[in-house]
Amino acid sequence: MKTLLAIVLLATTVFAQQKTPPPPGAARPLNLPKITEKKLANGLTVVLAPLPSVPKISAMLTFRSATTASDREAHPGIAQIAASVANEGTDTRTSIQIKEELRSIGGSLGLGSDADSTTMTATSLSEFSTRLFDLMSDVAQHPSFPEAEVKLAQENTIQNIRAGRADPGFLVNERFQKAVFGDHPYSFVVPDEKSISALTRNDLRAFVTRFYIPNTAFLVVVGDIDVDKTFAEVEKAFGGWKSGTVPPDDNPPVPKRDKRQIYFVNRPGSVQSAIYIGNVSIPRKDKDYFAIRTASTIYGGSFYSRLTRNIREAKGYTYSPFSSSNTQAKTGSFLAGAFVRNEVTGPTLLEIFYELDRMRVLPVTDEELNAAKEYSTGNFSVELASQLGLAGRISTIYTYDLDKNFINDFRPKIEALTTADIQRVAAKYFDTYHAAVVIVGDWEKVKDQVTPFGDVTIYDAEGNIVSKS
Amino acid sequence: MAPVVTVAVYYNVGFRLEPKGRTGFAHLFEHMMFQGSANVKKFEHAKFVEANGGSLNGHTDFDYTNYYQTMPSNRVELGIWLESDRMRSLDISEENLKNQQAVVSEEVRVNVLNQPYQFFEWISLWENAFTNWNNSHNGYGDLAEINAATIEDVRNFFKTYYAPNNAVLTVVGDVDVNDVKKMVEKHFASIPNQPMPARADLTEPPQTKEKRISQTDKLANLPALAIGYHLPAQNSPDFPAIALLIRILQVGESSRWYQRLVKEKELTLDLSGGLNYFGNEFDYTGPMISTTRATYKPGHTADEVIKEMDAVIADIASKGITDKELADAKVSYRSNFYSQLEGSMGKAHLLSALAIFRDDPQQINSLLTPFEKVTAAQVKAAAAKYLVATNRTVIDRVQEAKAQPKSEK
Repeated sequence: MKTLLAIVLLATTVFAQQKTPPPPGAARPLNLPKITEKKLANGLTVVLAPLPSVPKISAMLTFRSATTASDREAHPGIAQIAASVANEGTDTRTSIQIKEELRSIGGSLGLGSDADSTTMTATSLSEFSTRLFDLMSDVAQHPSFPEAEVKLAQENTIQNIRAGRADPGFLVNERFQKAVFGDHPYSFVVPDEKSISALTRNDLRAFVTRFYIPNTAFLVVVGDIDVDKTFAEVEKAFGGWKSGTVPPDDNPPVPKRDKRQIYFVNRPGSVQSAIYIGNVSIPRKDKDYFAIRTASTIYGGSFYSRLTRNIREAKGYTYSPFSSSNTQAKTGSFLAGAFVRNEVTGPTLLEIFYELDRMRVLPVTDEELNAAKEYSTGNFSVELASQLGLAGRISTIYTYDLDKNFINDFRPKIEALTTADIQRVAAKYFDTYHAAVVIVGDWEKVKDQVTPFGDVTIYDAEGNIVSKS
Repeated sequence: MAPVVTVAVYYNVGFRLEPKGRTGFAHLFEHMMFQGSANVKKFEHAKFVEANGGSLNGHTDFDYTNYYQTMPSNRVELGIWLESDRMRSLDISEENLKNQQAVVSEEVRVNVLNQPYQFFEWISLWENAFTNWNNSHNGYGDLAEINAATIEDVRNFFKTYYAPNNAVLTVVGDVDVNDVKKMVEKHFASIPNQPMPARADLTEPPQTKEKRISQTDKLANLPALAIGYHLPAQNSPDFPAIALLIRILQVGESSRWYQRLVKEKELTLDLSGGLNYFGNEFDYTGPMISTTRATYKPGHTADEVIKEMDAVIADIASKGITDKELADAKVSYRSNFYSQLEGSMGKAHLLSALAIFRDDPQQINSLLTPFEKVTAAQVKAAAAKYLVATNRTVIDRVQEAKAQPKSEK
């Protein structure tokens, strides 16, 4: 016992507990990815980036013409159903053959659609890259939409949406998109049951023929690859894909809010209120992209953010408050959110508004801005170090038609921001006076705390308006 | 290599070891580790890491609690210093405890109490499948017990479990090993050890008959089912075979149960789960059950689903699996293993688990071997031995009767 104590004391005299944070050492070189862009004769853009972090590859094939808005008048929701059934059978492979092939190459392959594109994301061991490209190419060009698979997907989608309507996270997001984007196609979240049921196999085949076309698509391959060899494999797999007619771009007007409005989704039995507050912001290409993103980091987009320090660490109202800047091709949204116990619903609204207004009225400190810059650039390096992270980042450059130097320019653009830039975008986009305030909770329990903040429209979980004030 | 480093500290204590009458305490304690120490004020840990370009978190699991930050690699000493400061001198105040009891209560509300199904495939399944309190109790915690915790509880837990001899520090990334060794020596060497805590008895009596539980759910719109089978210990010769069998049954859309339940019989909407609900084959040490969860379609019953699952097991137990099925399962296992190791945090996680539970991080280089050696006969035998009704717990969770939802407007 004595000996042990002596050792401890000795150690303490040699190394006293350091009272101040150690300074950084010399920065190690940031090896930015080497990205090669090529084009096939059919118009398919191919982007390759070696990243041998593990002996695997990640490939993302993005159809820029297939969005949730495509064909929406005749067949609302068709992009989603097409994406979910496209890998359930091709002209030469059954569903189970596709899934078994994926298992035998250590792979995965799924499709998802959003407001700006449909993306097929696939991975495999790098030793099986040719088999993965064959499969991707087959699913892109020849999905057969077997009758039984379509019927099952329709039924399961309807049931999944019903299941989702029990989840406050689903409900608050759905109502927020509808409140902010109104009649714009970006308001779409899930199709209604009637539209799902009405779709036929022929509708889906026609949709894919028209919108899954190589001349508006791009394929990003990241991983343990050799650029020339991989490009040859891609060309062999995708070279025979026929070009299509580029559908006309449609750019409906973005709605503008004229007042603050509360949208309350009544979910009796809730022990918390799920709160989203926000408004329309900017398209992804807008010059204010970096400023809003950084303003959001300071406001609620990082752990040491203002909103977290206030309503979590000081007041204990919530577990994980947040904010996010979601920019898309035609417009975007900024939102702040928190899930809080019923008793503090009103006080939380007050604090979210207060912190938003504070960003508008007063400049952030240099210390806050510098911390946000370090946070953004440091985490950007981590993102680029993973195959899927880098593939996703490169894909945004093509989906949103950004400057090809986006990755290299990221750090200087972030570093150029000033506190005045942050205040300017906050003043414009953190506008509490025209915000959509969406709350999912138990109306009877929290109504007295909510009504002081504005006019309220009450919905049920299915989206029907129950009452309006 | 990316100029990035992960600094992680794993403590050899998870929610199995929290005190009786204090469900959720190990996790509440995890929150207290962000409330400041001698030279780092409340929540400043987050400030230092983020303002230096990093991200951070902590996680409480069955058998460990970890704290980690991933940062630009030239900030490695900052991460080491931050972890040493809280291991040496956590600052515990009444006010901060109250604040985090409120925060954790909201975490339980958002992830459990205000959710349909309320995490039943973990919390209820473990409560029912196990008989030893250490294994069976709700690790997220009962709100009343979370809020009953005292400052003395926090001090005792810290002193008992948060000593250097009950922890492992792992550093992975673009750094110089010798430099890092010096930093670790400088900041950690003088933190005193504590007597090793007595190990709790985690043993479970063997289950001898099937457990079936019915529950109703006030918030859900569709019925769901959760099933857990007791698994052999990690050092059992049967372990690699049962691990591959679980993948063959329920991981991915080619799996046998997915194909039978979702595709052929159209009974369930989904199928999820795996060998270790929160992690992998290596990052736990006490008794484990497999987890299977499925949302099933209205108009059907849990019995119909179970009958189909049993038919698949019976088929494997009598006819075995094909050589191709086994070979493919090994490929997909290997591929998944690589993905887990891709980032610095992934490597740090596995190294830490092997260090803390096996005292042998070198095993990371040979972990795949036992799985590569599994034979079809072993998989067949594992199905017959472990996937039997008497070894399982089944929970059928049905929504409280309510009007059929109207179609959407």
